[in-house]
Amino acid sequence: MAKWLTEIVCASTLLITGCSRPAKSPPVVEIEHAISPQPARVGPATVTLRLADGAGKMITGAHIAIEADMSHPGMSPFFAEAKETEPGRYEAHLQFQMGGDWVILLHVTLPDRTKLERQIDVRGVRPN
Amino acid sequence: MNPSSIPVLETPESLPFDLMRVPGLGHLFRWRYARPLLQAPLLVLGLVMILHGLFGPTLAPKNLATTLSWLHFRGVLVLVLLCAGNFFCLACPFMLVRQLARRIFRPRFSWPRALRNKWLSVGLFILILFTYELFDLWSSPWWTAWLIVAYFLSVLVVDGFFKHASFCKFVCPIGQFNFVASTLSPFEIKVREQDVCTRCHTKDCIRGRREPVSDLVVIRGCELALFQPRKVGNVDCTFCLDCVHACPHDNIGILSRLPASELIVDPIRSGIGYFSERKDLAALAIVFTFGALLNAFGMVSPVYAVETWLGRMLHVSHEAPVLGLIFTFFLIVEPVLLLGIAAWSTRVWARSAMGLLPLAVRYTYGLVPLGFGMWLAHYCFHFLTGLYTLVPVTQNAVAALGRPFLGEPHWTLTGLPANVVQVVEIGFLVLGFAGSLLVTYSLAEVDSADRPLRAFLPWAVVCLVLWCSSLWLIFQPMEMRAMMMSG
Repeated sequence: MAKWLTEIVCASTLLITGCSRPAKSPPVVEIEHAISPQPARVGPATVTLRLADGAGKMITGAHIAIEADMSHPGMSPFFAEAKETEPGRYEAHLQFQMGGDWVILLHVTLPDRTKLERQIDVRGVRPN
Repeated sequence: MNPSSIPVLETPESLPFDLMRVPGLGHLFRWRYARPLLQAPLLVLGLVMILHGLFGPTLAPKNLATTLSWLHFRGVLVLVLLCAGNFFCLACPFMLVRQLARRIFRPRFSWPRALRNKWLSVGLFILILFTYELFDLWSSPWWTAWLIVAYFLSVLVVDGFFKHASFCKFVCPIGQFNFVASTLSPFEIKVREQDVCTRCHTKDCIRGRREPVSDLVVIRGCELALFQPRKVGNVDCTFCLDCVHACPHDNIGILSRLPASELIVDPIRSGIGYFSERKDLAALAIVFTFGALLNAFGMVSPVYAVETWLGRMLHVSHEAPVLGLIFTFFLIVEPVLLLGIAAWSTRVWARSAMGLLPLAVRYTYGLVPLGFGMWLAHYCFHFLTGLYTLVPVTQNAVAALGRPFLGEPHWTLTGLPANVVQVVEIGFLVLGFAGSLLVTYSLAEVDSADRPLRAFLPWAVVCLVLWCSSLWLIFQPMEMRAMMMSG
């Protein structure tokens, strides 16, 4: 019985590791962000993003969809598109509807159509 | 049994409305498998919540575990308690699992005598409130899922070892919440005609029915030790309908009554005794009432200022000790001060012969309507402002399975506007305040027939203080923060 089990485990391991494709390493993309005003308050806010590749070269022509969610259920997310204001620099306008913790999700599509997801935690948005 | 010892709250001419007489509904409730039928969908929902909490999106607003637990379940629960009765305990999915498990494991022990009170469940109630704040359960699908799992396991362990409904009566914090809140419900499970019970010799409603030869239980009697003819009110009643099914005379109904009427009388109650002698039950009422304000306080901006200030004063950066201090103040210091001063004032002004503690215990039950008003205001705020969010969250969960037959998530669906819901909140608080004033005045009339106002005024001041605090709380800006000590 133990021999059978060992053989099944070995065969499964071989199948899983041997048949899988080598994972394509994700592109190295540096994303810097800034949110104004600081500290973040309820109301309009601006998210500024800088995209650069591994060599530090700015990435132009990316498409960035932004989604801002509260940390608790019951609130609808706020959606926005970031616009490229200068090469590699993108800007989006958000609305923090309530004080508390927010999470900003970045859905980035690079010029070569590679897709990336990033999460920015915005803690303690203060009420007015 | 002496019929004169049976408390009757209704006058003979006010015939109560009986839910069991409603066509369809009555048939359903009389059906032996009514409870499993109601429990099964909630069990499936519970399992879905566990799976989605553990393996679904990590963001709380996109997860069924957090959305259903902290918005919809709590909101529906308090509204059903307000409009009908303790129907959640009737449909409790944990009990369905317990029933299935008891087909395999038969409990052998009786619940320890020292724990046959509410002290353990009061402690667990506080623990749930504390962990909710400390671990920000509303923002964590993973923790929420594990909380549900822990609940299932606790039921299995407790009721796996101990006979009857030990978990419901002595452990379950949700159950204790429901028991206290259902004192304000408009329906109660009750005998229709006391004479029928007087003539009854079988007492099946408490003993159950057994097969004559094998002595196996065919239909259970009340597992919470509530003998129907002497049962008063909803405390400890899970609406399980066992008594309804066991009664050989079809003499038990789900009868309408005046909400809170059970709080203004103090007869001996089957399975409970006298309210005025139950310090543990009074402690539960205190945690229910003051915990309502504390739970709402944890969601508004001033709490962060208080925590930061306390953290600086005590030179601590961890949240637990600071939160512990806030809990101690709200659940011990504040009630002791307010109730102590009010009891002392009643004793002096109304020349009451009762001691301070018995007075405080007696009038504590009068604060329950205020507490329920606050729970209603708080939970309905989340429920109503996030009412429709269940739609996109469900659409998203289905889409994640690869078959988006419910369509793309409509994330713009939220709920009623906050300013509309605030009016509803104020309505609940007014209702709670009025209820507490009525109950405390009724108690004062009984205690001091010659000076009811003097006995009542101190408690009216306590009610006013709590009501003003509740109003202040709902007008504070909401601030749902997970990391409170981060400044």
